[in-house]
Amino acid sequence: MKLFSVVLAAEDPTQSHHWLFPEIGEIIYGGLASLAVLYALYKFGWPAAKKALISRTATIQKELDASSAARTHAEADAVKIRTALGDVAAERARLLAEADTQAEALLREGRARIAAEVADMEARAEAEIGAARARGSDELRAEISRRAARATADAVRAALDERTQQELIDGFIAKVGAGK
Amino acid sequence: MSAERIDAYAAALLEIAQAEGKLAAVEDELFRAARAVETNESLRSTLGDGTIPAARRAQVVEQLLAGKASDLSVQLLSLIVGAGRTRELPQIVDALVKRSSGARQLEVAEVRSAVALTDAQQAKLADALARATGKKLNVKVVVDPTVIGGLVATIGDEVIDDTIRTRLDNVKSRL
Repeated sequence: MKLFSVVLAAEDPTQSHHWLFPEIGEIIYGGLASLAVLYALYKFGWPAAKKALISRTATIQKELDASSAARTHAEADAVKIRTALGDVAAERARLLAEADTQAEALLREGRARIAAEVADMEARAEAEIGAARARGSDELRAEISRRAARATADAVRAALDERTQQELIDGFIAKVGAGK
Repeated sequence: MSAERIDAYAAALLEIAQAEGKLAAVEDELFRAARAVETNESLRSTLGDGTIPAARRAQVVEQLLAGKASDLSVQLLSLIVGAGRTRELPQIVDALVKRSSGARQLEVAEVRSAVALTDAQQAKLADALARATGKKLNVKVVVDPTVIGGLVATIGDEVIDDTIRTRLDNVKSRL
């Protein structure tokens, strides 16, 4: 509060030649001082500011370039990914188609093989049935012939009396003696 | 049994039979006995059974051949059976007959008949076979009911077969 009173007192218009303009000397010294400050600012501050601005501009440009490159790279990656996705889809489709083809071929081959095996088994079964039939027939024929031969032998043996036996022996001797 | 052992037995039988002067009879009797053993499985099994004492087997031989063969033949057969050579008997006797025939420059002719042949028939048969083959033969007749009727003569590799059994076999084959 006391400081405020001092300021107001300092700004008291009654203490100046004009309530708006300062003193001439003040203007001169103030102007010179301002020029000196401005010059100092130009001389020492501007290059640094300019350098900072250039650096900042370069940094921003660099960031812009990096962003652009990143975008380009990202776009390229996106293209690659899209291509890869497309390739994956195509590969998937190709694999599925190939699997379908193979499955179809396997199915066809399996059906053909089973059909061939069934045909073979049928043929073998028919052959075995035929062989069994023939075997049975042959065995029956052989048995009949065995029994017939045995019966014939028994009948002949029973029919061969002593006289006939002697005739057979004499007949053999006569035939051999005659050189037959 | 080795061929050497069979030959040794045959040589021994031949020597004994010759020494006793009964070679022809012994040869015939042993030949018939050998054929009987060869064709009769139960006889072969009984006489060849090692669990039956040799004396008992010899007794069986004596009982079987009593009145049908000379004592010498029975004793020789008992010797072979007692020595446990029943299964080799046919080979031993064949070797004996071969040796005996060879010594007389004769070839063995084995004749099988369903019935026994008379002496006259045997003489005629030997003469007929000798004429047919052109060889001097030692004819051995074996009674073999399986031939049913007729005769079959085997001289070495040659077979002259006119038996009812062979005819029936032929008919059976055709059937």
